[in-house]
Amino acid sequence: MGRVKDAAAEPLMTAREIAKYLLTSCKCLREFKSYMFGSSLFGVGSDIDILIVGPSGEPLSRLKEELRFAGKELPLDVLYMLPEEAKETGFVTSAGCIPLSQLARK
Amino acid sequence: MNWQVNYALKYLMDNHKDATAQHVRGDAIRIMMPHKPNVMAVISDAYTISAELAMQYHVNFPDMDFLCGYRKECVWEGGAIRYLEGNTIGWGSAGTLGSAIYNGDARSAAHKDYCFSYRLIRQIRSIKNLDREFDRIFTMTLTSGCTVRVGMIMEYEPTADAIRTFWDRFGPIDIAWNINPNGNPTQNAIEAGADLGCEVMKWDELKMLLRNR
Repeated sequence: MGRVKDAAAEPLMTAREIAKYLLTSCKCLREFKSYMFGSSLFGVGSDIDILIVGPSGEPLSRLKEELRFAGKELPLDVLYMLPEEAKETGFVTSAGCIPLSQLARK
Repeated sequence: MNWQVNYALKYLMDNHKDATAQHVRGDAIRIMMPHKPNVMAVISDAYTISAELAMQYHVNFPDMDFLCGYRKECVWEGGAIRYLEGNTIGWGSAGTLGSAIYNGDARSAAHKDYCFSYRLIRQIRSIKNLDREFDRIFTMTLTSGCTVRVGMIMEYEPTADAIRTFWDRFGPIDIAWNINPNGNPTQNAIEAGADLGCEVMKWDELKMLLRNR
């Protein structure tokens, strides 16, 4: 592991804390299935990968607005999929996506 | 300490075991790797990096080796890219910075998501002129006189939303080129492109199109 001189860096939110924070801050997430995947599940990656599965249109626009606000100081990388795209790609399984609700309960 | 500087330090610490990193001031950090040049990197939280912003960072940090747009959605305007490359300053994502400190080429590094694909395009002989408008958008004029505006889509499996969002952000494109060699656009993405008036394609199809136009 590399070193940070002068111990200047402050603690980052854990995956669980991020999940709780997003579920609390973004009410529109109730209308979608939301997951975390990638390196942030296991430590610190360069970003926090989030998958959102649900409808397009107005509900999605509202959610994007909420996530943009909530992610003002988080390196979120959000992937949006329609339910049929999630099914077509099998992404939830292949990328090892964990529901935010499950992470928040841990 | 700014949130993005904090993340960058933690990311480097967790993922680059030989590196030592320290906060210098404001958005700047210094990274030291054994047997490699030290790197002064400026970590920006901007959503868009324009030429003006790049110049401003350069004025504030004259020793800047690399400008990092820490947000995944950070967009680089063509003017910013030209300014930075003209001043031998590297630019790109956190991942680009991570690779650059290992390779010891921070000053010549360019956003790793788009670097390879754009280099590929620059080598095509049937392209007479190339104008890079953004990190992911270029307009090419072919020797036939035909002009094509291309968007480079990095997603592993581009979705309908990725295509629509790209179009909304950057305006009409003729081709959405899925530059990620793995994965394929979803059927909905291809249909979304067709509805908007652009073709979603991989490199083989683009190569064919360049031959035929």
